[in-house]
Amino acid sequence: MNRIEKIEFIKEKAQRMRCDCIEMGYTAGGHGAHFGPALSCIEEIACLYFGIMNHDPKNPLMDNRDRFVLSKGHACLSYYAALIEAGYIPNEQMKTFKMDNSILSGHPGCHPEYGLEVASGSLGNGFAFSCGMANTAKIKAESHHVFCVMGDGECNEGVVWEAAMNAVKNKLDHLILIVDRNGFQLAGKTVDIMNVDLEAVWKAFGWNVKNIADGNDVGSLLTALEEARETADGKPHVIISNTVKGKGVSFMENNLAFHAAPINQEQYHQAMKELQQVQIDKGGC
Amino acid sequence: MGSVPLEILQEWSKQGHRAAIGETMLLLGKEKNNIYAVTADTTPTARMTNFLNAFPDRLFDVGIAEQNMINFTAGMAKEGLIPFAISIAAFVPMRCAEQMRSMIGYMNLNAKVVGIEAGVRFGPLGNTHFAMDDIAVSRLIPNFTIISPSDPHSIYKAVYAAADHQGSVYIRLTGAPGFPVLYPDDFEFVIGKAIEYKKGRDVAIISTGSMLAETIDAAGILEEKGLSTRVVDMHTIKPLDKKMLNRIFKENRLVVTVEEHSVIGGLGSAVAEYKTEFCNAPKHLICGLSDSYKEVGSYEFQLEAAGLKATLIADKIMQEIAMGGK
Repeated sequence: MNRIEKIEFIKEKAQRMRCDCIEMGYTAGGHGAHFGPALSCIEEIACLYFGIMNHDPKNPLMDNRDRFVLSKGHACLSYYAALIEAGYIPNEQMKTFKMDNSILSGHPGCHPEYGLEVASGSLGNGFAFSCGMANTAKIKAESHHVFCVMGDGECNEGVVWEAAMNAVKNKLDHLILIVDRNGFQLAGKTVDIMNVDLEAVWKAFGWNVKNIADGNDVGSLLTALEEARETADGKPHVIISNTVKGKGVSFMENNLAFHAAPINQEQYHQAMKELQQVQIDKGGC
Repeated sequence: MGSVPLEILQEWSKQGHRAAIGETMLLLGKEKNNIYAVTADTTPTARMTNFLNAFPDRLFDVGIAEQNMINFTAGMAKEGLIPFAISIAAFVPMRCAEQMRSMIGYMNLNAKVVGIEAGVRFGPLGNTHFAMDDIAVSRLIPNFTIISPSDPHSIYKAVYAAADHQGSVYIRLTGAPGFPVLYPDDFEFVIGKAIEYKKGRDVAIISTGSMLAETIDAAGILEEKGLSTRVVDMHTIKPLDKKMLNRIFKENRLVVTVEEHSVIGGLGSAVAEYKTEFCNAPKHLICGLSDSYKEVGSYEFQLEAAGLKATLIADKIMQEIAMGGK
C-alpha cells in the first residue's frame, strides 16, 4: 500500500467509524451520546489504529503491541468504532451501547479482551496513567509506543500538568499525546472557559510540540505521528490537533448542543445520509 | 514471608514506623526485582533513601503531586510491575481518592498505596496534617484491601503480604517513634485474618494500628478489676475477619473497637455495619477520634484528648459496664 492508498484507506475507515458512532449513539435513545467530542477525534484514532499502531485484534494483549489510552473517555464512541472496524468488538455489540450489561458504557470500562485496556472518563487521569505505562516500557526496555488522546478542555485539569512535568523528567520519548483541540468543552468554548495557549504551555513544560492546522486531515496527522514516532530525543511528544467538534455531520459541527445529547429518528437519518453521501463511491457505511 | 530479628525490631521501634516501612521496602526490593516505589517528595520522609540508593532505577519521585503519583503508580501496575506509592496519610488517600477509585480500584490493579503518619501523630502541625479519614475514604473504594499494622514486626509482615497479594492494597501506618514491639517472635500474618492477641470471656476489645499497644495495657487494667478481656488485633480492616467477629458476638458481653481514626467510617463503623446482621449481638462501644477539628498539641495531648490512652479506654469500658452494658 503506497502512501496515497494508505491515506485513502484510513479516510474510508474514518468515515465508517463516523457511521458506527451515529448508529451506536442513536441506539442509546434517550440516554444520548457524546457525539461532538467523538466525531472531532475520529481521524486521530483512525490514524492510530489503521496507520500507525502495531496491534493485532486476534491477539489483543500481544506483548509488543503499542498501547492506546483514550483519556477523553467521553469520546468513547470513536474508540469503540475503531475497535469494531478493526475487529476487536463484534458488530452486533454496537446495538448494546449504554444498554444493561453492555461492555460499551458511556465512558470506557476495562475489557482487555475487546481491546479496551484502560478505563477512563475522569478527565486528566488517563493521560497521567499513560505516563506510568510509558515509564514501564522504558524500565523494561520494550520498544512499543504509548499513544494517548486527550481533550483541549481536559487540559484544565491540574493532574495533566503534574503528569506533563513527570513525563519530561522521566524522558518518555516513546509517549505520544494528541490533544484534540476542537475548541469546545461542556459549558462553552474553551477560549471563554479557560483560554490557554496550549502550544506555548506544552513547549514551556519541555515537550516536543507539533501543531496541526487541520486535525481532521489524515495526511497531516500521519506525518506528525510518524515524525513523533521516529524522534527519540528524550522528550515526550504532543500533537495539538485542531479539529472540528461534531465533524462530518452538518448540524453537529461546532454545535455545543451536541456535546452530549440524544438524537431523534429524523436527525439520525439526516446524519447517516450525509455520511453515506461521502461514502457513496466507496460502498456506503 | 520471613521474620525480623528482635534487635532490628527494637531499632525500628525506637525510630518509628517510617524506619520500619523504609527498611522493609529495602528488604523486599532485594528479594523481588519487580518491586518499585513512587513517592511525592516524600523519599526522605518515608525513609526511602536507602531504597533509592540501593535501587536508583526503581524509585520515582513525582514531586508534590499525589494525584499524579497514584495515576503513575496505576499505569506501572497495569504493565506488570508491583509499585508502592508512599506518601503522607493526610494527603493519601484523601487528596487522591478519585484516582484510587477510577484508576486503581476500578481496574483492580496490583498497586499498593502506603500512608505514613496516619491519625493525629502530626499533632503540632495542625489539622491539615491529621489523617482521621483515610480508613473511611479507602473503605469506600471497591477492590481495595486495607491493612493497618500495629507494630514494627506487623508492618514488615503487612508489606510483604501486600506484595504477595494480587490486587489493590492501602496500608496505613500509625504510631510515634518508641511504638512498642508487640510481636517479638515470628508469627502468622494473613490478610483478612485477625489475631487474637489475648483471650477473654467478658469484654472483647478490637483494635487496629497504634491502638493495639494501648488496648493491651487497657486489658491489663481491666483484668486487675476482674474483667476477663479479650484483645483482638484487627490488622485488616477490609475485608473484616467475620469469623473472628462471629465468635466475639457470640462469646463476649461487650464489644469495644479502638482506633486512631474518626469514629465515622473506620474500624468501629465497619464492625457496626457487620453487627447489624445479628439479632442478639452485644453492645458496641466505639472509641476513636471525635468528628471535629482538633486543638493543636502534641501526639500525647491528642490521644489524651480523644480518650485513646490505656487508662482512659479502661475507664470508659468500666463506665459502660457499670451502666449495664451487657
